[in-house]
Amino acid sequence: MSGRVLEVNQRKVWLLEDGDGMPLLYLHGFADVHSVKESWLPFHEQLTPRAHLIAPAHPGCAQTDENKDIDVIEDVVFHYLEVLDALDLRKFDLVGSCVGGWIAAEIAVRHPGKIRKLVLIGATGLFVERALIGDVFMMAQPERGSSYAGLRNMLFANAEHPQALEFFPDGMGVLEDELRRYQMLRFGSRIGFKPPYFYNRSLKNRLHRISAPTLVIWGQQDNMVPRAHGETYARSIPNAQPLKVIEQAGHSAPVEMPEVTAQLVLDFLSQ
Amino acid sequence: MKPVQLFCWHFMAYPYLSKDFDEQYGSGWVTVPNSLWDNAKARGLYQEYIDQLAYADELKFDGMVLNEHHQNIYGLMPSPNIIASALTQRTSRGKIVVLGNLLPLHMNPMRVAEEYAMLDQMSNGRLIAGFAPGGGPETFNYDVPSANTREKFWEAADLIVRAWTEDGPFAHEGRYFPLRYVNLWPKPLQKPFPPVWIPGSRSPSTLVEVAKRGYCYFLSSRTHGGETHKAQQEFAAVLERHGDRYHPFRFGILMSAYVSETDRLAREECEEGVWYFLKNCLKGHLRREGRQLTFGPGVPYIPAPAWKEYLKGYKPGRKLLGDVENWEELDASQSIIVGSPETVYRRIWKLIEQAKVGNLLIQFHIGNMPAELARKSMKIFAEKVAPRLREDSLKLFQQQFSGINVEHAAETLH
Repeated sequence: MSGRVLEVNQRKVWLLEDGDGMPLLYLHGFADVHSVKESWLPFHEQLTPRAHLIAPAHPGCAQTDENKDIDVIEDVVFHYLEVLDALDLRKFDLVGSCVGGWIAAEIAVRHPGKIRKLVLIGATGLFVERALIGDVFMMAQPERGSSYAGLRNMLFANAEHPQALEFFPDGMGVLEDELRRYQMLRFGSRIGFKPPYFYNRSLKNRLHRISAPTLVIWGQQDNMVPRAHGETYARSIPNAQPLKVIEQAGHSAPVEMPEVTAQLVLDFLSQ
Repeated sequence: MKPVQLFCWHFMAYPYLSKDFDEQYGSGWVTVPNSLWDNAKARGLYQEYIDQLAYADELKFDGMVLNEHHQNIYGLMPSPNIIASALTQRTSRGKIVVLGNLLPLHMNPMRVAEEYAMLDQMSNGRLIAGFAPGGGPETFNYDVPSANTREKFWEAADLIVRAWTEDGPFAHEGRYFPLRYVNLWPKPLQKPFPPVWIPGSRSPSTLVEVAKRGYCYFLSSRTHGGETHKAQQEFAAVLERHGDRYHPFRFGILMSAYVSETDRLAREECEEGVWYFLKNCLKGHLRREGRQLTFGPGVPYIPAPAWKEYLKGYKPGRKLLGDVENWEELDASQSIIVGSPETVYRRIWKLIEQAKVGNLLIQFHIGNMPAELARKSMKIFAEKVAPRLREDSLKLFQQQFSGINVEHAAETLH
């Protein structure tokens, strides 16, 4: 694994990179590399033997420069178009989880030709009536002064899952992890605090533009993004497989069930 | 030079919660179900609260203070300007302090500029204009994204003052509130513009922004002790760095007080209201119990490097004001000063002496306190405590701040 800084339009973008094979761009979510952890998670390590995995940190996350001019998802998409140019990525596999899945879908509807295959995991981004995306910011405020059980419960099927407790411990965790969590919330608040709450109403009517074969993966018990969102993605993207549901997983399937999730992704990419 | 300015602050709490509220409900803020609102009981509540503020004016307090809150039982003033408007007609001498309008919640800051200008005209120049950014609860109530809140706040504040002072129409080419025709009708009465007060809780960046503009800084935290004194010193140092000089009327603090004939009587009379305030009104705001909404990673308005510094000193689960378990602990916090005129005088005088503070914003009505007790406390304060504080503070300020024009701080800078 190597981390490096990419210069993009006079801003620094921090990314991790590893493995051989087709380029695979991974865009992270809330319980993930860059948003909590400094290095790859077991999920990513399963991918690297078969792909050239590139995972940039979103603006303001980890060591990527903050960009105060980000107000809407469009600004994030343009940021990533510049990242793609800087990496000279013209045709690649794109995998996004949570907010990263939203960004991936937004890139794919604009530049369908760049994407070889697309994987969305617990992706935000859609407005689905009577299926509100959960309020991760409210849950990030501690209860009884120090409990983050509400946040764990939103991001995991089981709030007491060892990884849930490691990623979002009660009280105060490792300072650097705490800081990354904060940076991710701050980035997220730029595009997702104000309605539209982590969604773009226009996205649904644009999904038909995605031409790449697509796999949509959802945790069986996603307490942040209701499964109806996954069903809508799978139904609206022309070349998408039926929604794959992972048992014993919630919103953070790559963390809760890393082998199963990675295997689904690898099988799909190698088909 | 003038003596300490004594203001009566009313929060207008919802006073009709049942005794088991704390057990039954997780928060007094944002998510507290409004099915608890009881029209049969609440009819006439605003009138009573406005009457109490008018009574403060009769008692010759230097002014009345209002502020903006949304969706909570702590303060029933989503629009303090509406209450201020009533006070322009009910009172004739004291300042009307709106502390303040929460600028990031307003789609267009011109609405604030306009309403404040109207209030200044309607009150014959008695408005003190507060601008505040809002805290965590308002962020959730109004879905205000946090990351750019401070920038947005200062753009709005500067636009308002510019609209008050510059002839229009002019174009405002702002990042957040671009406007083609800024042309305020009416203009405010006070020249160059009404005094501007900005609340803060010792964030260095706020102190600097306030100092740059020559405004008055108001310490909004509810726990005093050494903090007041430290905040004053920090502000004075920042002012010096900006070529300005501290004087007592550049600084204000919030406190709560209850005065009665004796210490024992004072405690007996106010205790129910005080516990109602601490356990119900502060739940969700300044209590660990439930979900604390005021500050934290879910309202990420602080830049990441400053958050890192904060984390280094962070003690998870630390006690907040509403977590005090007994009267002695509350007493030690110096947040609510309760006692005989002598006791209350002594404790407030110590704060003035230490912190050289010229604006005391005092909450008299606390929680579900009966109206007659709030009035009694205000009256005893006005008759027995205020005269001594005024006399002694005038002497102190004359000694320590002679030769400073305390009236027109902002004017000299603009």
